[in-house]
This record gives sequence, C-alpha cells and structure tokens, in this order.
Amino acid sequence: MTKKEKKSFNQSLAEWKRFIYNPTSGEFLGRTAKSWGLMVFPKPLSALEYTFSASDPSSYRGYIEDLRKFLKPYTLEEQKNLTVCPDGILSEQKGPVYVACQFPIFLLQACSGMSDPDFGYSQGSPCVLVKMNRIIGLKPEGTPRIECIPKDENVASISTYPNNGIIDLKYFPYYGKKLHVGYLQPLVAAQVIFSANSTKKEVTVECKIDGSPNLKNQDDRDKFLGRVAFKIIARA
Amino acid sequence: MRQRKLEIYSVEHHAATDIKKKEGRDGKKDNDLELKRNQQKEELKKELDLDDHKLSNKELETKYGTDIIRGLSSTRAAELLAQNGPNALTPPKQTPEIIKFLKQMVGGFSILLWVGAVLCWIAFGIQYVSNPSASLDSVYLGTVLAVVVILTGIFAYYQEAKSTNIMASFCKMIPQQAVVIRDSEKKVIPAEQLVVGDIVEIKGGDQIPADIRLLSAQGCKVDNSSLTGESEPQSRSSEFTHENPLETKNITFYSTTCLEGTATGMVINTGDRTIIGRIASLASGVGNEKTPIAIEIEHFVHIVAGVAVSVGILFFIIAVCMKYHVLDAIIFLIAIIVANVPEGLLATVTVALSLTAKRMAKKNCLVKNLEAVETLGSTSIICSDKTGTLTQNRMTVAHLWFDNQIFVADTSEDNLNQGFDQSSGTWTSLSKIIALCNRAEFKPGEESVPIMKRVVVGDASETALLKFSEVILGDVMEIRKRNHKVVEIPFNSTNKFQLSIHQTEDPNDKRFLLVMKGAPERILEKCSTIMINGKEQPLDKSMAQAFHTAYMELGGLGERVLGFCHFYLPADEFPETYSFDSESMNFPTSNLCFVGLLSMIDPPRSTVPDAVTKCRSAGIKVIMVTGDHPITAKAIAKSVGIISANSETVEDIAKRCNIAVEQVNKRDAKAAVVTGMELKDMSPEQLDELLANYPEIVFARTSPQQKLIIVEGCQRQDAVVAVTGDGVNDSPALKKADIGGAMGITGSDAAKNAADMILLDDNFSSIVTGVEEGRLIFDNLKKTIAYTLTKNIAELCPFLIYIILGLPLPIGTITLLFIDLGTDIIPSIALAYEKAESDIMNRKPRHKKKDRLVNQQLAVYSYLHIGLMQALGAFLVYFTVYAQQGFRPTSLFHLRIAWDSDHLNDLEDNYGQEWTSYQRQYLEWTGYTAFFVGIMVQQIADLIIRKTRKNSIFKQGLFRNKVIWVGIASQIIVALLLSYGLGSITALNFTMLKAQYWFVAVPHAILIWVYDEMRKLFIRLYPGSWWDKNMYY
Repeated sequence: MTKKEKKSFNQSLAEWKRFIYNPTSGEFLGRTAKSWGLMVFPKPLSALEYTFSASDPSSYRGYIEDLRKFLKPYTLEEQKNLTVCPDGILSEQKGPVYVACQFPIFLLQACSGMSDPDFGYSQGSPCVLVKMNRIIGLKPEGTPRIECIPKDENVASISTYPNNGIIDLKYFPYYGKKLHVGYLQPLVAAQVIFSANSTKKEVTVECKIDGSPNLKNQDDRDKFLGRVAFKIIARA
Repeated sequence: MRQRKLEIYSVEHHAATDIKKKEGRDGKKDNDLELKRNQQKEELKKELDLDDHKLSNKELETKYGTDIIRGLSSTRAAELLAQNGPNALTPPKQTPEIIKFLKQMVGGFSILLWVGAVLCWIAFGIQYVSNPSASLDSVYLGTVLAVVVILTGIFAYYQEAKSTNIMASFCKMIPQQAVVIRDSEKKVIPAEQLVVGDIVEIKGGDQIPADIRLLSAQGCKVDNSSLTGESEPQSRSSEFTHENPLETKNITFYSTTCLEGTATGMVINTGDRTIIGRIASLASGVGNEKTPIAIEIEHFVHIVAGVAVSVGILFFIIAVCMKYHVLDAIIFLIAIIVANVPEGLLATVTVALSLTAKRMAKKNCLVKNLEAVETLGSTSIICSDKTGTLTQNRMTVAHLWFDNQIFVADTSEDNLNQGFDQSSGTWTSLSKIIALCNRAEFKPGEESVPIMKRVVVGDASETALLKFSEVILGDVMEIRKRNHKVVEIPFNSTNKFQLSIHQTEDPNDKRFLLVMKGAPERILEKCSTIMINGKEQPLDKSMAQAFHTAYMELGGLGERVLGFCHFYLPADEFPETYSFDSESMNFPTSNLCFVGLLSMIDPPRSTVPDAVTKCRSAGIKVIMVTGDHPITAKAIAKSVGIISANSETVEDIAKRCNIAVEQVNKRDAKAAVVTGMELKDMSPEQLDELLANYPEIVFARTSPQQKLIIVEGCQRQDAVVAVTGDGVNDSPALKKADIGGAMGITGSDAAKNAADMILLDDNFSSIVTGVEEGRLIFDNLKKTIAYTLTKNIAELCPFLIYIILGLPLPIGTITLLFIDLGTDIIPSIALAYEKAESDIMNRKPRHKKKDRLVNQQLAVYSYLHIGLMQALGAFLVYFTVYAQQGFRPTSLFHLRIAWDSDHLNDLEDNYGQEWTSYQRQYLEWTGYTAFFVGIMVQQIADLIIRKTRKNSIFKQGLFRNKVIWVGIASQIIVALLLSYGLGSITALNFTMLKAQYWFVAVPHAILIWVYDEMRKLFIRLYPGSWWDKNMYY
C-alpha cells in the first residue's frame, strides 16, 4: 500500500468518522483506547520496585543514568527551537507546521537533575518521574494534575514538581510523531521523603491523574490507566 | 416334488463345508469367529439329527414327559419354562448405552482434543507452581476444549439414539398368542410361555408358535417361504414321510404360517433352539463390516490428525530451538492442533447424514444406521430377493389359452385392465369354471375395499382366480349362490385336480354342471372333447398338440399353469334329486370337455423394470438371488430387465444353435442362471469368475448359506453389496452385506434385525431412490469437508507466523473455536441440502478404494489454494486494524517480546503514541476479532463456491438452495453477536469491532469466487487435462 493510497484511504475513513459511533468508549474513529496510561522513570526492569541504599552509589547508579538519559531531550539546549506557549490553554493547531511547546526542565525543581545530579538518591529521598503516555488528539478537560499518595503517610511523604503535580494544557493535543516534531510530553516528578522518625524505609506510592473529568484513573483491568503504583525500598 | 426338496437340503450341507473351507484358507486371524461358526454348524447338524418325526405318539409322550390328551401340567410347564427360558428369539446383543456414549467421547478427533485439554491444564499447573498469579488463559482453553468434546459427543450420541429409537418402535410387535392344552384344559397363553412337550392347536392364519411335531391335521397347509423362499403352500399332516426332518410332513417350523386347515401338535423345540432360531443366530455370527463412509471418515480423520500432529510437533521443536519456553511451546502445540482439527465437522457430518436419512425415510427407505445412508450410494451390486421385492408376492393370472389362442391378462398392481377378447362362448364357459371351481372366499365386510386389496381366505392360486373372476365377472359370491354347489372334491396331491358339481342358474336347464381344474396334463387325460369358439369339438391329435405347445410356452414363462374342463351331466341320468357322493365319486370324471388353460405368476411390481434400468445406467449390477425355481426366476428376471431382452444364457445359445451346452463359447453369453446345485460345486475362484464375467446373473434355488457365499463373492470383487430380502433365511446375507435392506411389510423380525435399512413399502424401486440420495450425500459431504478444511490454513497460519516472525498473535485459540463451532456450523450443514450438479444416476458407482471422500485434490485445493487466499485476506484485515491503530505492518515483525511483556506499559507505536500492556492486549483481541471477521467474510465466498464442484454457480442457481442463505445469515449474525453481544466478556477475547473492518476482506472474498469460477471453467473446457486431473476434487 503506497502512502498516497493510504492517505486517501484515511480520508475516506474520515468520512466514516461522522457517523460511525464506537459504542465502547463513546468515541469516534481513531485509537480505541483513548486514555492515558501512566508510566514511571527510571524504567523498572520487572516489577515496579526501586531498591537502593543512599550510602552505596552503585546501588542507584543505574537509576540515575536512566533518568539522565530520559531527561536528555528536556535540557534547555535541546529545547531552544521549541515554542514558548501560553499557559493554561490547549495548543490546538491546524498545520501544516506544528509547533511543540517547551517544557523547561527547571519545573521539576529538586528532581530536575540540575541542582542535584543524584536525583535525591544520595540523600535517601529518591525522585521518580511520572510520564503520561502520548496519545494523538487527546484533549484533557479541566485542570489535570498528578497526585501521588504514599500508602502509609507515617513512613514517607511525597513532594510533586511542578507544584501540585500540575500538567499544563498547553502540551495538548499531540499531533503524532511525524507532524509534531520535537514534541515533549509534560512530566511530573515525585520525590519520596521518608519521615525521620520512621524506622521502616519502605513505601508504596500510588500516583494518579486527577482534576480532569475525561481522563479515567480507575480501571479494573488496566492497572496503568491514569495511575501507576511503585514501591521504594531504601536500605541502610 | 420330494426329489427336488432333497436337493435343497443337500445343498445346505455342502454350503456349510464350503464356508469352512474358505475360512480355513483365510488364515487364522479370526480363529474365535471360525470356532463359533463351526459350533453353529455343528448345532445345525444336530438339529438335522432330530428324530422326533420318526417316533410314534407313545414314544413322544415318553420322551417329553407329556400326555397328548391332557397336555402338560401347569407346574411342569412352569419348571420347563424356568429351565429353558421363554420361547422367543434372543434379540441381537445391544451395546450398552454407556459404551456407545464413551465411544462418541473418544472417537474421531476427540482423543486429540482431550490430549490438548489435558496439556493445557498441565501447562497451567506448572505455571501456577512457579507463579501463582499466572494467567488463566490456558485453563479457559483446556476447559473450552473439554466442553467442545463433551458437547459434540453428546450431540452425536443423541443423533444415534434418535435413529435407533425410530427402529425400536418400528420393530415392536404385537405379542403372539397360542392355544395350548394344559391340565386337560384348552388355554390361550402368550406364545413366549410355550415349553417343550406342550400340546398346541393351530388353525389357518396362525403363526406357528414353535417347532412342532404334528399329531393330527385336517387339510393343513403352511407357508414356508420365510424359511425356504418358496411361495407355494406346503401341505402338512401327521404322517412321517421323509427321513429328513426338514422334508417330512409331520413337522412345522417356528415363524412359518399356517395358511389353512387345523392341526394339533407337540412342541419339540422352542426359542433359539428352533431351526429359525439357529439361522438367526448364524446371522449374529456374521461380523459387522465397517460402512464405506465410516472408512472414509476414518481416512479423513487420519489425514487431518496426521497433519495436525506433525505440524504441531514440528513447530514445537522449532519453538524450542528458537529458545521459547517449553510451556509456551506446549501452548503453541495445542493451538496448532486446535487450529487444524475441524471440531464441528463430525457433528456436521452426522447431521447431514441424519437429514438424508429423514429424506430417505420419507421415500420409504428407513435407515437404521446413519452411516448406512451413504453406503447405498456407493453400492455397485444389488443382490435382490425375488419374492415380494421384485414381485408383488401374490399369484396373479397372467395368461389364458382358449380357442387355440393365448391371451394376456393384466398383471399390474390394480389389475383392472383386462383387455383380452371376452366375446367368445368358450370364455363364458371358462369364466364360469374359474368362478365356481374355487373354494376361496372374500373375508366378509370388505366390500368397499378395492378388489385387489381385499383379504381372501384360501391359498395363493385360488385367491388369484377369485380376484381375477371378481374383476371380470363382478360379484362371484352371488354367482356361486345362483349356481348352488351340490358336491365338491378339494384338490389333493394324488388327484391333482379339484372338482365340484353345481346346479345351473338357468331355471330351465335341469342339468348339473361338473367343473374341474387341475394340473393341465391330468385334466387333458380326462377329456375327449375341446371347446373352440363355444362349440364342442372332438379332441384330436392336432388339438392335443396345440395344447402341449401352449402348455410348454406358458410353463416356459415360469408360470404355474392350470387346466379347466367342464361337463353337463345328462339330466336323465342325474335328476335333480340325485345324491352325489364325493367318496365314491358316483359321477363321471372322464370324457369331459376341455375348455382352456390359465397360467399364473407372482408378477413383477410395475415400478421394478424402471428401477432396474435406472440401476443399469447408474452402473449398478442387479443380481437376483432366490429360493425359487430357475424357470420362474429367469422369467421374472427377464420381465424386470435383470436379464435384458437381447441377452442370452449359455443354455439359450445352445438351444438356438441346436448344439450341446458344452460347445457354446461361454463368452458369448451375457446372462447366467445358476442354481444352488451348480453353485455348490463351484470353487470360490469359479464363483469369482462367474461374478466377474456375466453382467446379468440369476441365482435360483439357493439356501441361506449360499446367499452368504454369493455376497462374500461379490465383496471379493471390491464391490459394495446391497442385499434385499424378507425371510429369516435371508438374514445372514443381510448382515454380511455392506447394506442389508429388509422388507418392512412382509419382512420377518430376524431379517429386520439383521438389516441396516428397511424398505417400508417392500419395493425394490425404493432402493433406487436410496442410491440417489446416498450418492448425493457423498458429493455433498465432499463439499462440506472442502468448505470446512479451507479455513484451517487461515486458522493455522497465525500461529506459525507468530512463532516464526513474532507478530502479535493474530487470532486466539478460543476465537478460532468460535469459527469451527459457531459461524461455520450451519453453512456446512446447508451444503447437505445442495441439489445434484448433474444426473448422478448416470455415472458409475464410486470405487470404494479409489474414489475417496477426501482425496489429494480436495486437500490441496482447499488448503493451498483457497486456504492460503483466505489466510492472506484475514491477515489483510489484521494488518489494517493494527495500522489504523498505529502499528504499521513492518513494525509488527519481531515485536512479540515487547508486545507480550506485562511490564512494558509505554510501548511506542509508529505514530509516537504509547500503549500500556492492557491497551495492547485489547488491541490484540481486536485483532483476533478482525481476523475472525476476515475469515468469516471469506467463508461466505467459500460457501458459495462449494455449491458446485464443476458447474458454474450461475448454472446451479444461487438461490435454489435456500438453506445456504440461512447459513450465510447465520454466519453474519453469529459474528455480530460475538463481536457486539459478547464483546465485553474477557474470557472470550472478542471486542466490538468497528463497522468498516467488516468490509476489508470483501474484495478478497470476491477474488476467491472469481478464482473458483475460473477453475471450474477450465475443468469444463478441458476435460481430462492436467488441470482437470489436479483441480477437480
């Protein structure tokens, strides 16, 4: 199938759009599962568990490298060609050229890797980045934000950056890899701060999307739909 | 007469040894059976050693501890009953229901699926031990497989049971009663309770309740046809007339009928120990051969199972070599097996067969065993009994000879068209003799019934004459009243004539009329004059010669000839008051006036000649096997076309050329009439040669054992043999035949038990309709199987490609079960309703070893042509769905590991979107649904192209078979239900597919249709070409 044909095929499909109703999600043509999935970084190998020891750099070196690699496109240098977009409104575009908005890395504050190259691991307060899966055309409503809650508040507290875990609407919608060159998806960092008086240094954190009526964060089958849960174990 | 019977008897003896010889040659593979049969032979001989007929009444009383006058005491009878069991034939052993059920559970593909299910559970068990949260998928699959096997098993069992039940109800008989003397009292008891030594009374119309030694008899005649095949009544008396118990007049046999007269006798054998019981048990000793369709299905199951297991194991090895986990490899193995096995097919075949069985039952062919439905279609030789099957089983007047001329009477079933010239005065006299010199009477109260259907009390010939005259003259009973009978001498075998004297109906004529009928030569002896054109003339030499010519001619037609004469007694010698005495015969019985001859035959049924012609054109050889005389047999064979008009036997040629039989070149003769006597001297090789060289064969005077030998001879020629018969004597042959057909009306229970099929109307032509249906179902099963096998490739490819190229799995195992057992079921049954493509009765019967149900062409075309096209089409839908969702085809290759990883929740697609594990899973199910729909849409095209194998669909007519459309509708509805109705049930792996995906495979479906039309076109254009040989299935 050549590209041209595909295009016309897509066009004819676009006609379908108007009257083909998808009864599952109440949505029209396109990707069926039009919901955010959440994913965390550093990327865990198997189960979502981060085990490290603040006193042993080798125990978290892998995590730091992973974070650095992941944040590389977010450095100011990489972003200098991107647009500065106005906050709080969707960046809907008509093309043919689509611009991508800057996501200044300093928004991640303590977890930006700028002030603390160890992302808090050496202090025993590790950063974990929460990322929303890219989905073409998704337009969040309301004021979406990521809220991270520890299972046991006595053991640890969570700081989220940007403040309140806000996700600005200007990063949406996404127009796809080909058109939307240089697109950076917004990130939220969660820093786990263990209570000084707690002897137990082990906590499960659940992060989920909140504040947006059209983004689900509860699905019986998909444990990553609008939420993610991970476990931090800080050894002595 | 006696001499002839002796011959039959000796024939049986030799036949028994023949079988033994043959078995000895066949080797020892079946020693038990041989032993059993030999035992039966021994018992048969023992029966022949019976000496009860030689004993005097006193000796009998001592032997059986009974009293001829007082009978047995009730207590003694009860003892004997307890000791010997009831007087009934043991029904053939029934397979216990549970065994039948279990057989269905393990037959066919079931074993393979059981293995699959168990492997699934084992795989889950191992997974569970290492990881308690393992996915339940393989448990679901195992359970679904088990449910599939159990459901199809129950279904097949139910189908079998249903057809068996029809039979059971059919075979139920009204319990028979017997009049017995016990404790000096006459009692009516159920015949089952008779014991040896009982004194029983028999009268005309009764069935003989056991083997009975007669003690006294008055004008007793029995019909032994179910034992010997002779339709002539045999007289019975208390005299010991022959050494051989089968020949002597003082023994009557169980299950034969007493036609007239009364008799008293002593029961000497009951139940299975009666002679009939022994023959019946001989039948149960004959092994049940597998039906041709069973062999074909087995062959097919072997092919498919072989392919499934070998592909499965091959890919298991490949998977293991590719470093897949062994458990995964096992799951692949199961999936490949499930994809290859057409789970619904055997159930479909059962339904198709039972549909045909129903259709045949409507046409008076009741099939007991479903598989036998097709056997009839592959039949290449029919061995037909004569009496009752080919003929009407009633004597009918066929010819008359008077005024030196032969007249033909109408012998058709209704007999109303008696068009011969009835103006002659001779006919007036002859008709009077026929009406008056006759003791048969209509059963009163049946005046409204057509003459031919009325019940008559009297023997076969007298019945024929009575009905004949009733048709021509009107109310015969009234004529007899007007011509009052003053005296009569009934027929007996010494006199060979019957005589009566009547007052005439003319009040002015005071003379008595003497009328007489009997064996023609005896009647002629008694005559000095002959009536020609109503005038008496002296019986000179030339007239006598004319008589002999006519007699020989009619006799040569196999007809029973009777002579008729009369004489008006002079009024002066025999005044009105004259007292006639039948004992002293005080009246003249010579110098009478000869009036005419009349001949009778049991005429062929009117539909038979046509049916025989149809068999001929269908390449089926019809052989007549009868117990009757060769002349009669040959005459009937000629009149129905079993021996065609222009073919001659060796004897005919010899007669025509006036040379000795030995001088005739045997190759010149097309037809052969072989008697039991000649057959007994033949070696199996000679019999084979006979069967192979003569297209038209009649076997006459054959014994039950010889019927068996003939059937075996035919089977040695690789023929599929159908046998029809009604008597107990036929039952061994019925059982041995590939398909035995018993007569529904006249058939004995033993015959019905041994048969696979019952001709409800006793009509040979019902077989022909059966053959047609049988052939049609074979063709249609081919279509069904081709249809069903096609999608196997489309089902199999996903797994192979998944293993080798690492695509996300295109279709799940459970999903494809929904094709096999959901969308495809009704369409494949619908093909059973397809009409024949061309006249299937104009081609040769299929060769059971060469024309297979599933041949290489069918497999190759279904798997590699249409099957591959279908697989491509289904993959097209699959790739379309993935591409639309964001995964281009090229990116899918080797994506499997990432795709299947539960921990990867941001897999990026070609558009830069990211997918959680569950979202991918859901997309995968959408892919299953899309692939499923792709196959379904193309199966619609497949269904349409399978309507014909050679003709264009447009010639066959798209809309003639409405059921096909029901099938197509069912496919679509089931698919819609699965996708939109059950799309939310996780275990079933269906999702709600968007409307446009349903149409992606449509162009492919059209391509399939066009491709197949091309195939058919080239087959029609170039018959015999390479294309024809390889593309026609």
